[in-house]
Amino acid sequence: MKMRAEEPAKKLMQGNEACAEGAIAAGCRFYAGYPITPSSEIAEVLSYRLPAVGGTFIQMEDEIASLGAVIGASLAGAKAMTATSGPGFSLMQEHIGFACMAEVPCVVVNVMRGGPSTGLPTLPAQGDVQQARWGTHGDHPIIVLTPWSVRECFDLTVRAFNLSEKYRTPVILLMDEVVGHMRENVELPNPEEVEVLDRVKPTVPPEWYIPYEDTPFGVPPMGIFGEGYRYHVTGLLHDVRGFPTLREDEIEPFMRRLFRKIWAHLNDIQQWETYLMEDAETAIVAYGSVARSAMRAVVEAREVGLRMGLLRLITLWPFCRKAVESILDGCKTLIVPEMNLGQISREVKRVAQGRAQVRTVSRVLGRLIKPEEILEAVEGWKA
Amino acid sequence: MKERIEIRLCGFGGQGIVLMGLVLGEAAVRDGLWAAGSNSYGAQARGSACQSEVVLSRAPVDYPRVLAPDLLVALSQEAYERYVIDLQKEGVAVYDAGLVKPRGGLPQPHIPVDATRTAVEGLSQKQVANMVMLAAVAALTGIVSQKALLGAALDAVPARLREINQRALEAGFRLGESAREGLSYPLPDWTLCEASARADA
Repeated sequence: MKMRAEEPAKKLMQGNEACAEGAIAAGCRFYAGYPITPSSEIAEVLSYRLPAVGGTFIQMEDEIASLGAVIGASLAGAKAMTATSGPGFSLMQEHIGFACMAEVPCVVVNVMRGGPSTGLPTLPAQGDVQQARWGTHGDHPIIVLTPWSVRECFDLTVRAFNLSEKYRTPVILLMDEVVGHMRENVELPNPEEVEVLDRVKPTVPPEWYIPYEDTPFGVPPMGIFGEGYRYHVTGLLHDVRGFPTLREDEIEPFMRRLFRKIWAHLNDIQQWETYLMEDAETAIVAYGSVARSAMRAVVEAREVGLRMGLLRLITLWPFCRKAVESILDGCKTLIVPEMNLGQISREVKRVAQGRAQVRTVSRVLGRLIKPEEILEAVEGWKA
Repeated sequence: MKERIEIRLCGFGGQGIVLMGLVLGEAAVRDGLWAAGSNSYGAQARGSACQSEVVLSRAPVDYPRVLAPDLLVALSQEAYERYVIDLQKEGVAVYDAGLVKPRGGLPQPHIPVDATRTAVEGLSQKQVANMVMLAAVAALTGIVSQKALLGAALDAVPARLREINQRALEAGFRLGESAREGLSYPLPDWTLCEASARADA
């Protein structure tokens, strides 16, 4: 969202609808899911949009099966996604790990609501931030993106597909109820203007194909079932041919490659934005809908002469260490507002290492943090 | 002139409050404004207090929710009681004359509009009371143009219901205009200005 207006678009759209349109634009042709508030509109829109473009929509019996179906579809060559919220996201953790291990591209949307458990189905929260990072067991890298506007719901859904295809990894789009249900003016790009990446396929004949062979990029080309490439797909740690292995000289190289394909490309994966940071002495570090409150807080602080700026994290994981480091020289105080009791603020503290004071503004009221509540943490602010 | 206008529409789940918000937002974007809106969640709101909020601005909307509404539109007593406390000091409340009994002693002007009675008696269709009210609000305050509202509303309803909704809107415009003429005090200036202090990103 640019803060200086061009012409406002003459169309209102909801974040969840924009996410569904983003999926179509990115080439998603398979959705399997189980409806859950506040993500259901994504399924609703895709239930008629996908068949219209020759895709497949399936309502599954639960969220475990949903992601299972998505993984199967992806192995068969379709760009595939599912969408859910807290309780369903918990059920999907097992298959997220499978997709990491078997390196199957897929997009998992989690529109965050209040938790734990069934929690607050219709109210916003940002409680799944660490779950998105570490919810599935075992050491693994993950890519997580967070939109702050309706337009960005579209853009980041496209980006989630692109990253997932490029790095053969599950990508989690971590929305929240505010962004998912909010309506605002949005102008979507023409389909031909959308940059779409597809997975790299093997160029060798099927009998020469070694499915998990390392490459300089770290991502092996992906053979498609049904196109003659047959290989073993398993959640067990496997050798380059896809079969289970217990050999030390195969285990560690595999694990290192799994991480290297993500860590070696942080410049490509990590995105953040700064607003009014040039002369800022205090910075708000925020993400998702809370960054909208933070933006308002910065505007109000500037009006009374406080030098404040905003660092907005778009890629949440891998954590944008560089972004936080880049503002440590100028800022003595970092304020981290979150709709949880401190999940990203801990990461910010870890990077700041005492070079700046990090203040957490936590609100778990089942509503968006107000600008005023962020400003109360600012030195020199008088309401 | 205002930098942004915050509007809260509220009533009883089932009165069409969510649709009112949607139509108001659509009308505003047709008028060339930036809009952001949210509402009570469907099934949860049915049969209890329900609200829909709309933020209008000439610049992109940063904080997308209502903090303290400039305009409260109430179609039920329960919702009125719940939300009137948030109303801006300089705000205005518009209420359904037959369904809401306003609290005494509040500083904000309270303007009655006989929306539900007009819908029932004049149009024989209670369900269009929301459109009568919305049109009255538009005519009263000028926050959106009548042309944009008419277009947005008729596009939002099924073809077979266009005629009755059009009649409801026209009746609402008349109610709003006569309510405006009857006021003994000036309403706030609802014109939106370009926010000067916004970030140039």
